[in-house]
Amino acid sequence: MITLQQLQELFYTSVFEHGSENHTTSKLGHYINETEGLSSIDHFNIYKGSITASLNRALREIYPVCNRLTGDNFFNAMGKEYMRNTTSRSADLANYGEDFQNFIASFKHTENLTYLPDVANLEWAWHRAFHAADESSIDLAALGKVPEADKPHIVFYLPVSASLIASEFPIQHIWQVNQSDFEGDDRVDLNEGGIKLLVWRKDYTMRIDPLDDVEWCMLKEIGTGHTFDTVCTHLCKHDPVLDIEKMLPILVQRGWISSFSIDD
Amino acid sequence: MEPILPESAPCFMEDVILSRFKEIEISGAGIGLRSQHYQQILDNKPNVHWFEALSENYFGEGGLPLYHLEKVREHYPITLHGVGMSLGSATSLNTNYLAKLKRLVDRFEPAYVSDHLAWVSVNGKYLHDLLPLPYTEEALTIVAEHVIQVQDFLGRTLLIENPASYLSFNNSEMTEWEFIGELSKKTDCHLLIDVNNIHVSAINHGFSAIEYIDAIPSERVREIHLAGYEDHDTYLFDTHGHRVHPPVWDLYEAALERFGPVPTLIEWDTDIPEFSVLMEEAAHSDALLEKILS
Repeated sequence: MITLQQLQELFYTSVFEHGSENHTTSKLGHYINETEGLSSIDHFNIYKGSITASLNRALREIYPVCNRLTGDNFFNAMGKEYMRNTTSRSADLANYGEDFQNFIASFKHTENLTYLPDVANLEWAWHRAFHAADESSIDLAALGKVPEADKPHIVFYLPVSASLIASEFPIQHIWQVNQSDFEGDDRVDLNEGGIKLLVWRKDYTMRIDPLDDVEWCMLKEIGTGHTFDTVCTHLCKHDPVLDIEKMLPILVQRGWISSFSIDD
Repeated sequence: MEPILPESAPCFMEDVILSRFKEIEISGAGIGLRSQHYQQILDNKPNVHWFEALSENYFGEGGLPLYHLEKVREHYPITLHGVGMSLGSATSLNTNYLAKLKRLVDRFEPAYVSDHLAWVSVNGKYLHDLLPLPYTEEALTIVAEHVIQVQDFLGRTLLIENPASYLSFNNSEMTEWEFIGELSKKTDCHLLIDVNNIHVSAINHGFSAIEYIDAIPSERVREIHLAGYEDHDTYLFDTHGHRVHPPVWDLYEAALERFGPVPTLIEWDTDIPEFSVLMEEAAHSDALLEKILS
């Protein structure tokens, strides 16, 4: 007699089995009743189709631009291949597809769409920021009261919603022209150059802020979680003329630094 | 078969004394809360008795979904309905999931918390669909242990919903309604009866929907779900993407005759229509609920 766990494991394996290799599915079929007009495998395939459709729907909702760039049929086929290669370990469907970018980068049928993994990276960052914890702005009064002796030990934090993204392709432009409400010239020259971005959420407003090289370096360094003293040392090695004292208030004012602590 | 919990086990919901919300209990027809309608609901405060929120849609740490649920909750009682608890898993429950659910329950004080008689995952690997169980003694023991674990963790009674199904296992030892009856006795859980699911499964498996309704312990039924299905010729598929079909309205009337005026939800998950369509469906449900009361 098959146990519940054995039956469920058989079911799980059968869902991602290729149609041409239906060994597990046939085995599962022995435990499923037939009805008039439907074989046991037909009954199972209703679930297989439903699971595949709902996982593809989840990917489409998180990656609408990738879907638009590749078309529904291609995206669904790519999604099916992703499902076979990726185990979902979270009960929350919103966590599904985190490594879709890496899958796309290794998927042989998208090797000509060199920019697509970076677009997927941007879309995941957006999705992540959308659901990130709410945060208030940095407490400037408390920051102003930090004793001089403690200032080297301050650790600044980027917003919890923030992702720093760099691409050699114009992914923000690609993303913009593929929004459903975009109007205008939707052509993008892939040679127009790369971009560095901070994707984050300010209160309930989603933001994709382009960064220059100085802003990128500072935010990257601050994002490591080192003390301000160490951050300054690293930044000065990279760029001896960087005016950190001038730049820091700008980053704070833009909301790109959301909190701080004093490292003991 | 002896119940694991005594029949007199407390209904945890009544233990809630202090609340930051005006209303907790629900009655009449409610509507499934969907993001497409947030703004309309908050702008117009439509005359809806209550809303049901899909628990997993609010598992994020923050952002607009939780903001909107907070605003809706200020004006309406809610229930929380889940699809990811996987009570039918042969392997252990996801404690991370339960912790997130408890956080929601504590924050929003729902009238009811419900999930399905189904499995979604095995060995921690998720298929994200409500999958059918063989109705065996082994499955009954496992599901009952899981229901009790959840009720203990949440500190409240869970509502279990009957699934729509498209296959049945030949090693089942009892009917679905017998399984549900035994489960409710073993765990003292309450029931959410999805009338559309009964109709869909009855057609797909060739059993009597009325026999199913008649076998349900009516004193445990706290909520009813109504939705639309699709006819795929050889089977019915529960899409939640259409108005409630006439045979389901008929079965609903039979269910109300047996269960009394149980709070009833209009569910719609795909091809979400204008809010007014949901209001029309809720008004129809309300009219039938009033008919039973009179």
